[in-house]
Amino acid sequence: MSTESCYHCGEPNDHRQLFSAIVLGESRQFCCPGCLAVAEAIVDNGLEDYYQFRTEPAAKGATTPESSLDKLALYDEPALQEEFVYDEGKHKQIEFTLEGITCAACGWLIEKQLSKVSGIKQIAVNVAQRRAVVTWEPDTLSLSQIMASLQRIGYPALPFQPDQHEATYKAEDKQFLKKLGLAGLMTMQVMMLAAALYFDLLDAMDAQTVSYFHWIALVLTTPVVFYSGSTFYLGALKALAARSVNMDVPVTIAVFATYLSGTWATISGGGDVFFESICMFIFLLLLSRFLEHRSRHRAAQISANMLQYIPVTANKLNADGTLVQSLAKALKINDTVVVKAGETVPVDGIIVDGSSEFDESMLTGEFNPSRKTVGDTIFGGTNNLSNSVTINVTQTLKHALVNQIIRLQSVAMASKPKVAQLADRFSSLFVSLVLFIAALTFVYWYWQDDPRAFWITISVLVATCPCALGLATPTALTCAMATLNKHGILLKRADALEQLASITTVVMDKTGTLTEGRFAITESWFADNEQRDTIMHVMASLESRSEHPIAAAFSADDLAPVKNVTITAGKGIESDIHGQCYKAGSARFTACDKLEIPIIANVYLVSNDKCLAAFRVTDQIKSDAEDVLSAFSNYKKVLLSGDIQQNVDDIAAQLHIDEAIGGNSPEDKLNVVHARQTANEHILMMGDGINDAPVLAAADVSVAVGNATDIARSAADVIFLNEKLTLMRHLLSMASRVKRVIRQNMAWAIGYNLIVLPFAVSGILTPWMAVIGMSLSSIIVVTNSTKLLK
Amino acid sequence: MSIIYVLIPLAIIIVAIAIGVFFWAVKSNQFEDLDRQGYSILFDDDLSPEEKKLAEERKKLNE
Repeated sequence: MSTESCYHCGEPNDHRQLFSAIVLGESRQFCCPGCLAVAEAIVDNGLEDYYQFRTEPAAKGATTPESSLDKLALYDEPALQEEFVYDEGKHKQIEFTLEGITCAACGWLIEKQLSKVSGIKQIAVNVAQRRAVVTWEPDTLSLSQIMASLQRIGYPALPFQPDQHEATYKAEDKQFLKKLGLAGLMTMQVMMLAAALYFDLLDAMDAQTVSYFHWIALVLTTPVVFYSGSTFYLGALKALAARSVNMDVPVTIAVFATYLSGTWATISGGGDVFFESICMFIFLLLLSRFLEHRSRHRAAQISANMLQYIPVTANKLNADGTLVQSLAKALKINDTVVVKAGETVPVDGIIVDGSSEFDESMLTGEFNPSRKTVGDTIFGGTNNLSNSVTINVTQTLKHALVNQIIRLQSVAMASKPKVAQLADRFSSLFVSLVLFIAALTFVYWYWQDDPRAFWITISVLVATCPCALGLATPTALTCAMATLNKHGILLKRADALEQLASITTVVMDKTGTLTEGRFAITESWFADNEQRDTIMHVMASLESRSEHPIAAAFSADDLAPVKNVTITAGKGIESDIHGQCYKAGSARFTACDKLEIPIIANVYLVSNDKCLAAFRVTDQIKSDAEDVLSAFSNYKKVLLSGDIQQNVDDIAAQLHIDEAIGGNSPEDKLNVVHARQTANEHILMMGDGINDAPVLAAADVSVAVGNATDIARSAADVIFLNEKLTLMRHLLSMASRVKRVIRQNMAWAIGYNLIVLPFAVSGILTPWMAVIGMSLSSIIVVTNSTKLLK
Repeated sequence: MSIIYVLIPLAIIIVAIAIGVFFWAVKSNQFEDLDRQGYSILFDDDLSPEEKKLAEERKKLNE
């Protein structure tokens, strides 16, 4: 690896300040002390192999002063632990979400590092979900020590509690796996015995052996029927209890009729036995159900850790004026809390002393800091940027705004419009018809006094079993998901693809979604154009001392020394550079408000009362935004933002968006979308911030664009893994391809069932032929779906 | 052919054991993350430092 980029995280190195250490026998360069510290910790623990086998560079190591490790000690508080630590007798267990996992080698690294710590009983890392489950002995080790040792090798951990939805999904997933495994293994055994019976064409097998084989097959089939097949009987019972029929009803009848008659034939020693058909039937149907389950409820793939935004600790001011560290969740209304500069506000409250600027981007999506002073309300989870303030708590943590937004989101999620699945709508009618025809067939053959009446009826039930129909949609969706994944699009709910086809309106968030979400210089004016470079240099040096987000728009490689800095919060900065006094800031601060220049500027630079330059610094539209909007030409486009109306109108005009609605709170946004949904519009929502989470949850289909917050990601159906908006084109074209493939699959599945029906009714088809036909039909459907993998 | 009266029950017992192992594997979350375990074999972490050094040297010789 070259010295140009950091050996640990792959980011470019700063030439003037290099950090180096010996890894894998060679001297390596690092970009920052954070990466260096992490690499040294890895080498010291004898885990260098990580660097050899990783497939992705690591996340940038955060500089962690020892004081931040001390802060972890608060996690040892039993009151805090009771929420996410499980007691297992002598041991305790916790689930973490981990930041910074980039490839499978990270999983190895974490497991090795932790298994060396004495007191750790077990550690299991899930790389795909970026989570780890740790079991430890509380007598020898504390929770904070575990978290600290994870942080030292570059993986900050946070306790995590999976939500109810995910827990049930996991339990169902395991049930399916077990049932499927059992059915699969047993089918193989029973099929082996059946093969012997099939090929006994010369009747060379004596009656005793045949009966023995039947008994063995019966023993092997019984667990499949009663355990693996239970999914269908429960489904059938539920449907019947609701006075309707679904596909499970004929399946249940066919399985039980075949099983019971087979059992009777085995006991009495005469008659036909089709145990292998039952096993294969259940196995194939279960497989399609499993695929459907996986593709439709892939909800919990990403670690959405809400705790990340909810602060844990607070500096509580006691009545006697002493300051104590306290748990944020222990704060009560009317407690007094001090929020220092750079800290996260623990709970909602009103400022009683001091004033400061707050970064509320996590709530509003707007990165422009808002200035708050005595009497203003500040919200838990926002960042205090400049001065220490004292607040009076108005809401307990449970009712703080972040938690309210999360609650709003889960309510919206529950009321999301459900699509009636095409197959579901179809099945009730289809199943009634099948049952009717089967009954008719039985009556007819029975009346003819044909001894085969029973088996012909079973053939009808099996042949018409819509197994291929059941596979038509889930296989297509699963293949489409895999392909989209390769392009960096993660689908959490596969049927979102089906719903994309019926979208009428596209609603977009502004900041962070269509725009970059940070300040950049869009226009500039110089009093003397020759001096352009010098002025930019001065400006960068000056703004390097400012914390205001506008300052980030100005940057340079080598900065001039800056002296006597005075910052007037919310207005500007003043200081000496090369012995000359410069002022940069708003028009009023620099006394340039009467100046006439050709651009609309918001930042001015003056020296000795002479204006040297002016800049227009605004949020820039993403370069590919226009291209993406052209993909939406068939839809109504709406811009929905928390920003002031004028800014929203500006962007809407530039991008030719039909409608622009500004100044909306998360709740307002939700109401706008609900109103449109009741007016029969189908909404596609694109967003990124926490404030978008409720709307994302409510929209018919929602997309969280690159770099979205975890909460937005957890609310969205589709997640873009990188910042390219053009992924939207992929998504839309895939949606139309999927629709086509599903239609083809359904046409084939239904066509097959219709063709085979006359053969089954007329008694030409025996049950085993019906099962093989059904399997072939399913294979054709699956093969057709794999077209989408390309 | 009477051997099948022994072999088939034996096969069933083995299948029963296989199913038991499979259920245990599902229960202990071994199907949760299918990406990671494939990498475990790449790491020589079961070797002591001296053995590891020897292995490295052998690797260099082969290059």
